[in-house]
Amino acid sequence: MSKIGIVIEREYMERVKKKSFIITTLLMPLLMLLLMAMPALIMSYVDSSATTVAVIDNTRVILPELRSSEDLRFCPTVDATVDSALTREGIDAVLVIPENIIDNPRAGLKYYTNGPSSVGTEAGITDRINSIIEARRLKAYNIENLDEILSSVKSDVSLTTVRADKDSEESNSSMFSYGIGIAMTFTLYMFLLIYGQMVMTSIIEEKGNRVLEVVVSSVKPVQLMMGKIIGVALVAVTQMVIWGVLISVMSAFVLPALIPADAMADVAAVQSGNFDQVGDASSIEIIQAIGMLGNVGNIITLMALMTVFLVFGFLLYSSIFAAVGSAVDNIQDASQLTSLAVFPILFGLIFAMVAAADPMGSVAFWMSMFPLTSPMVMVARIPFGIPGWEIALSLVLLAAGFVAMVWLAGKIYRVGIFMYGKKPSVKELVRWIRYK
Amino acid sequence: MDILQVENVSKSYSSHRALDNVSLSVPEGQVYGLLGPNGAGKTTLIRIINHITAPDSGRVLFDGHQLTEADVCHIGYLPEERGLYKKMKVGEQALFFARLKGLPKHEATRSLREWFERFDILDWWDKKVEELSKGMAQKIQFIITVLHRPKLLIFDEPFSGFDPINAELLKNEILRLKEEGATVIFSTHNMASVEEICDNITLINKSRNILSGNVDEIRREYFGNRYDLLYDGDDRILMEALQPVGNEFEVSAADQLQGRRRLTFHLKDGAELRDAIAIANDSVRLAGMSESIASMNDIFIRAVREDESRR
Repeated sequence: MSKIGIVIEREYMERVKKKSFIITTLLMPLLMLLLMAMPALIMSYVDSSATTVAVIDNTRVILPELRSSEDLRFCPTVDATVDSALTREGIDAVLVIPENIIDNPRAGLKYYTNGPSSVGTEAGITDRINSIIEARRLKAYNIENLDEILSSVKSDVSLTTVRADKDSEESNSSMFSYGIGIAMTFTLYMFLLIYGQMVMTSIIEEKGNRVLEVVVSSVKPVQLMMGKIIGVALVAVTQMVIWGVLISVMSAFVLPALIPADAMADVAAVQSGNFDQVGDASSIEIIQAIGMLGNVGNIITLMALMTVFLVFGFLLYSSIFAAVGSAVDNIQDASQLTSLAVFPILFGLIFAMVAAADPMGSVAFWMSMFPLTSPMVMVARIPFGIPGWEIALSLVLLAAGFVAMVWLAGKIYRVGIFMYGKKPSVKELVRWIRYK
Repeated sequence: MDILQVENVSKSYSSHRALDNVSLSVPEGQVYGLLGPNGAGKTTLIRIINHITAPDSGRVLFDGHQLTEADVCHIGYLPEERGLYKKMKVGEQALFFARLKGLPKHEATRSLREWFERFDILDWWDKKVEELSKGMAQKIQFIITVLHRPKLLIFDEPFSGFDPINAELLKNEILRLKEEGATVIFSTHNMASVEEICDNITLINKSRNILSGNVDEIRREYFGNRYDLLYDGDDRILMEALQPVGNEFEVSAADQLQGRRRLTFHLKDGAELRDAIAIANDSVRLAGMSESIASMNDIFIRAVREDESRR
């Protein structure tokens, strides 16, 4: 095995064998899934028992029309007073409807309860009584065929964007693309920052405990630097791939199991373009989102592209981090020089936000071509379905960028690792590049 | 046969000249001392020999050919400032370094076991380096340096951090490696150990080679024409009597128990040694006479001072 291979192996194995790596790699996707499922889980636990409301109806016409539902049940009461009704077994609350409520809605309902009441229950009651009153008032106008008129004027409009420039008639939700783009940008941002700094601190450590002096008598300094960068990049890719696989598995098996069957039917309906089959309760956007999440092929493509940009971007940024790490003696001295790497990453993040809002704009285009910002900006644009040549061109420029940066960093590194004491300025780093 | 020849090597950094036209030859199978004050350029020279940095001009020959990247697997280097990966296990770490020097894994494992058995430290194999004491870590470091059986070994202050017992152990290991045919370059400030184990030395001061040669010859000849007289009697009478033939007198107590004195003096040019002996014999009770052998310590100090005054 070549020397650089041995270095890569050591850097990779040292990190992958760590407990902290194994735990975060396996737990993170589960944690994310848990966060997504949390609202649904909470709902299912909170509303597990129905609220039974005893109604004292002074109008005597509303109660017969009050429809009970799964979690809200209405029943008449024989008791005249609120207090005696509340003491009855199985009664959670008492609703008092005043006599003049139909003519004067401001008369107000009174809702007595033993414990705290929920917003959902209150809204459910007022909604129902409002529609009963509205219906009664409409009836008072004596319009013929009222029911037919009402059902024919009812409207529930939906909007789906279909890309005219694409061959397939796939539907695409831009809100969802935006979300995915931002999520991928942040993932990339975190990876670049965390793994980039990992390279830097590990170089500072090697320099600090002087193991470097021993290693460089066997390996060329530049080989050592490249071995470290590639080893850490492989760790990042490993984590990314494991996450990708876990998320794909969840999308393929866990997600369909979690989502009710009728919602999945809606998803299938939207994907085949039959909007009229969609149940009226569901929002088209959410259905499309579920559809995209459930599309494993789509997720794999996105993850693969993100991984490529991660690797190329990492090679670029980690070589800046490596140069900084080689130049200083301890992590405190590094903070100032680290801005050389951190600022471009932050700019990339900011421009990625701009790009996600306007993915085809000129700012988005140029920033996704410029090597220092391109990884994050491009990743934010990809979910919107941009032309393949733009991705290819961006990758070529990024590759040229990292080759140049690795070369520069190698020049600084080979001088920096033997420099102890004074913290160098950026000017000195530039002078090191010109050393023979 | 010289295993290493350094020919007219110069190396400059932006602000100063680290090596200025330095030449030296290291004969095979010897222990070669590389001496010099701090900052003289020794480390730079060692780095050039290790192919870590390249000289600006001049060349380095290893085993008769131009030194290349491939030769570093025949060199073992123990730097003065040395460390190990703290979180890595001892055995894994030693294997890592052995493989970097081109040793196949199984072979490295086998000879590593031999060394661990010899030093009786087999139970350290699965310990992390951070669990070891400084002296223990130094032993591992030594093993890592010699594990791949290099033809040329470079030790920079190898004894620092060792207690006297382990320092002795290390010295014997170095001499044993020499017996087995390895050449050793030995850089240190401890002149007593230079006298003890070095065959040849080079003294570098302010980036130049100011003194090279065989240790015994240098010690005998450096000050030139110096002799020790061992006697009982009055120092002053002896010194006054010797004035016509000698100068640069130095008196010391040679033997506390018998009250003997020692006078070291320089025999003037043209004077005869037998005259000096005759004079001494007349003035004191002479017990012995020998050629004075200078200590490396004195030679070091004098050579550096003389070089400074010439510049």
